[in-house]
Amino acid sequence: MELTEQTILLQAPNPAAAENGRKLSKKGCFSALCRSQDDTVYWGECAGSGKNPYRVSIDWLNPEAPVCRCSCPSRQFPCKHALGLMFERLAGKKFETAEIPEDIADKRARQAARAAKKESGEEPKAKRPNAAGQKKKLAKQLEGLDMAEKMVNDLLTAGVGTLAGSSAQAYDKLAKDLGSSYLTGLQAAFTRMALAVRRIQEDSGQSDTAYAEALRILVYLRSVINKSRTFLEAKLETDNYSAEDTVLFEALGGVWKLEDLHAVGAFREKARLVQLSFDVSYDEAKKEYIERGWWLDMESGRIDQTLNFRPIKALKYVKGEDSRFDLLEIPVLYTYPGEGNCRIRWDAASSRPITGEERAVIKTLVCPDLTAALKETKNQIKNTLLPKFRAVLLPVGRLGRVGDSFVLEDPKGDRIVLRDRPEDGKDHASTERLELLPVGIPSGSALFGLMFYDERDKSICLHPYSILTPERMIRLQF
Amino acid sequence: MNLQPLYDVKSRLEQAAIAGTGLLAEDFRLQRAAEGIKPLAAASPVFAKIDNGLQKLLSASGEERSGQLLDLLALVDAVAYTQGSSGVEGELLPLSQTGAGTCELLSYGQLQPLLEALNGTGGGRMNLIKDIWENHPEYFGDFRVLPSLIAGLGEGYAELAALIEDILKAQSPGITVLLKKDFDPAGKKDMVRRVEVICALEGQKATEWLKEVLPEAKKDVRGAIITALGADPRNGGFLLELCKGERGASREAALQSLALQEGKEVQEFWEKEVAKNGSLVRFLASASFDWASDLVAAGLQSRIEQALAKAKPLPQESLDELLLWLSSAKYKSSPAMRDFWRWAEEHLGAISQIKAANGKSLKFEVQLIDGLFFILCATAPLSDLCLELWEKDGEGPRFLPHALIASMFTRPAAEVYDRFAPYVLTSKPLVGNRQKQELHDAVLKGLSCIHWDEVQERYAVHNAYVISLVPVAGCLSLYAPSAGDFPIAEPLDPKWIGRLTEAVWKTSYLGQQMPFSYGERVDSFDVCLAGLVNPADEAMLQAIVPWFRRQAEETGSWIAYSRWLLKYGVSPRGILADSMKKCKRAPQLYYVWDLLREAFETLQAEETAALLEEIWDAGFFCKEEKVRETVFNKTIADLRAGRPFPEWNTWWKT
Repeated sequence: MELTEQTILLQAPNPAAAENGRKLSKKGCFSALCRSQDDTVYWGECAGSGKNPYRVSIDWLNPEAPVCRCSCPSRQFPCKHALGLMFERLAGKKFETAEIPEDIADKRARQAARAAKKESGEEPKAKRPNAAGQKKKLAKQLEGLDMAEKMVNDLLTAGVGTLAGSSAQAYDKLAKDLGSSYLTGLQAAFTRMALAVRRIQEDSGQSDTAYAEALRILVYLRSVINKSRTFLEAKLETDNYSAEDTVLFEALGGVWKLEDLHAVGAFREKARLVQLSFDVSYDEAKKEYIERGWWLDMESGRIDQTLNFRPIKALKYVKGEDSRFDLLEIPVLYTYPGEGNCRIRWDAASSRPITGEERAVIKTLVCPDLTAALKETKNQIKNTLLPKFRAVLLPVGRLGRVGDSFVLEDPKGDRIVLRDRPEDGKDHASTERLELLPVGIPSGSALFGLMFYDERDKSICLHPYSILTPERMIRLQF
Repeated sequence: MNLQPLYDVKSRLEQAAIAGTGLLAEDFRLQRAAEGIKPLAAASPVFAKIDNGLQKLLSASGEERSGQLLDLLALVDAVAYTQGSSGVEGELLPLSQTGAGTCELLSYGQLQPLLEALNGTGGGRMNLIKDIWENHPEYFGDFRVLPSLIAGLGEGYAELAALIEDILKAQSPGITVLLKKDFDPAGKKDMVRRVEVICALEGQKATEWLKEVLPEAKKDVRGAIITALGADPRNGGFLLELCKGERGASREAALQSLALQEGKEVQEFWEKEVAKNGSLVRFLASASFDWASDLVAAGLQSRIEQALAKAKPLPQESLDELLLWLSSAKYKSSPAMRDFWRWAEEHLGAISQIKAANGKSLKFEVQLIDGLFFILCATAPLSDLCLELWEKDGEGPRFLPHALIASMFTRPAAEVYDRFAPYVLTSKPLVGNRQKQELHDAVLKGLSCIHWDEVQERYAVHNAYVISLVPVAGCLSLYAPSAGDFPIAEPLDPKWIGRLTEAVWKTSYLGQQMPFSYGERVDSFDVCLAGLVNPADEAMLQAIVPWFRRQAEETGSWIAYSRWLLKYGVSPRGILADSMKKCKRAPQLYYVWDLLREAFETLQAEETAALLEEIWDAGFFCKEEKVRETVFNKTIADLRAGRPFPEWNTWWKT
């Protein structure tokens, strides 16, 4: 894989780490730069604040997943020194050819041995399910559901508008108790609702949208509580404690592991994905950043999403994701349970540029017309458990304005208003960017975005995220 | 189908949830909405279901209400979503593609730090934006960045706002569409900056827009718009009207702009204005038109004549006005202006008799001669006049600096050297010491305005530098520098350096200066010499390097001379320690580090290590064993192992 600034940024845990690495390289902090004869290992010394320089190396045996090692105490991975070494290579600095140092060679050999063991098919010992523990957990969750239901009922009896001051604090405390009942999903939903109401108290101008959001969450909670109770009671009765292909697991706060997804058959092999858009938002309820990538499956035409959660408390230590412009080839692609745009994950992938033929394939995967997309969206958003938007890739007939509104007209002449989704916030505003583009959008292009119901004028609108012209992809987000 | 009853029900249910289900029984509006849905219920099963739900809700017990309310709300929402309209009627007009931004494949990781710095608050943003501007200027033109960049013009941190303004001025003219959008003519500083950016990008094409927004413009924005209108030579008539109608700062802006216009009406206007109020001549300071030149020449001469005719001490206000007119003579070289200078030269004797209010001599003749010198530095067309005055003065010292600069502007370098170098004597004269030193000082005064411009790689007359040397207190503001240097005809003859290092008199009338910020003073003669040297000229280096090495040893000014030597790519090894010893103050560790850091950037690592050894061997820091071990020995070892020179924090900490 060719080393570019983009590939370095993809390795960096966050943009600041990459920038610090670049500065180290620019300041000339590196010395004793060497590389192996086969060009796979690069190493050197980097002056730090300590007496001795840090010894840093990068093993590019697998170009997609370079192994970075450094003697510095940083908990960021890769550290700025390793990223700096990448910038040294990118800058074309001279690396002397030398024998791989013994310690790196040893580590490399140990890693190869581990990989060989894995290849040989030796499965790690499967954990024995702890039936008693699971039963206890289900019982606790059912107790928690009762408490959650009571909270919903009490709140509605008193009125959502009363959720202020000390009552809000008491409510927050109750919501935290849900976490003790393994219902962190419901806890987050309650917190999110409380935040919406608090927003009204801070800015009364937002009352319409914030109350609408709070009520939507209440409706969602009612639905989750009822369905989950039935689901959990059935599990308890049948002594079935294994993972199941249902959205309720995550709605309650469960976290899927790849092996569990594998166990329920939520995976497929040899997938090819192209990223349509990338964006980052902040979830105040969970105090974490959510890095979201929207991906088009080159076989099925499905649009799914990757979600990378980076809690504020661990921001430095959780690697950030970034926009991807190449095509990803994924040996095993895992899909989370659900409908619409599901969450997807993988643990290994390789990338390569999109070919002209694949660009032509993308064109065939575009939703045939606006009517079909509208129907799918309405079906999704009326389901109380699913998000109130749907990611769609629509064919462009014409893009333009009617009065103050931006409008997309599909080749059949049907139209949809383009508008920023209020819930996405100002940092996601992208509709007006359509007029800043240096090039016109030709007919035959496709527009990717989120279709949603706008309470303000009771219409279905589209928040544009990116445009695929026959030649290129234009990211209105990132 | 009229869906209003559905939306009424939805709205009332939401209100009930906000107000509390405890009040449901008394909610007559909900009951009314429930009545309204009945006609729809008769027409469609889904509305019948809603109607049924409403009846149940209204008759439910207290405990059941919450659940039923939410179930009904879910149903109503689902129907509302299903019935959601899409599209819009009307003529679809194509997007007004501005083409303002570029559109490259730039990732979130690449753009996010920049967007955060532009949209955020707090420290550290300036450096980050500067860094990105240096390394990735292409990010700033991205269509996702431009709106934030424009919003950055309103940044409270003025330095950052100025940087953003410069960045915007370097973008394509297409971005002016964005700058004009949402422009607030009654706005604040950010709108002033918008005007400046628009004018920098569009030049005279901005006139139409400027005139369009002017009527609504207020305060600073109005002033900025009027100032910008001055850049278009077609705006004379329009600005004349503004000068008549505007008041206060806006009128001053209009006058400033009008001074840049040509035309008979403009000329007549100014004649009347300066006749009414002489101080308005300050607006003509940057005008170079012949009419402005004639006007200033006439005004200046008449004021001097009045002072001569009165034969009384000159009141302070008259002196101030006289100086104002003199400073306004800059950039002016019309025949009338030349005639004024000739007249002034003829009357220098009488002018020297003008007295100040306190009865002492005003020495106005000196100010006139110096004034002409400063004006010449920014007004090359006066060169012939200055040579003429010098010859008329018998090639004396009075107009010698003028003649030297005038020759530099117009004659070959070798000719200038041959003509003026003899005034710099290399052996002490037997007779006429005083007169010859005056001539020597006059040549140095001229040379001290010449310097090697490293950025443009050319020799130029440094106008601002000259201004800072104005010896008469009170004149500094009047001789406000016109920014910029003025290139001379040919590169300086290298022989000058050798001649000057061998000169008999090596002190200039300017005394001592601090060329670097370490409190170390050196003679202005050497500052002048350092400024004259082109580091790429071998002949110059052959002369200057031995001279500076000797000066370092003799004066003990080790920082200045070492830095100059490093600037020429020469190591101060061999004289550095001796110079330090000669210095009255013991060397400070930070100054040593700073000098050697620069040495490391210029010289080989081995040479820097050798300098460190030289300093250590001189025994300055021998009382501090820790410094020897961890600072000197470690750095020497690191440098020899190919490691970089340490940062100050690292050096000092260790």
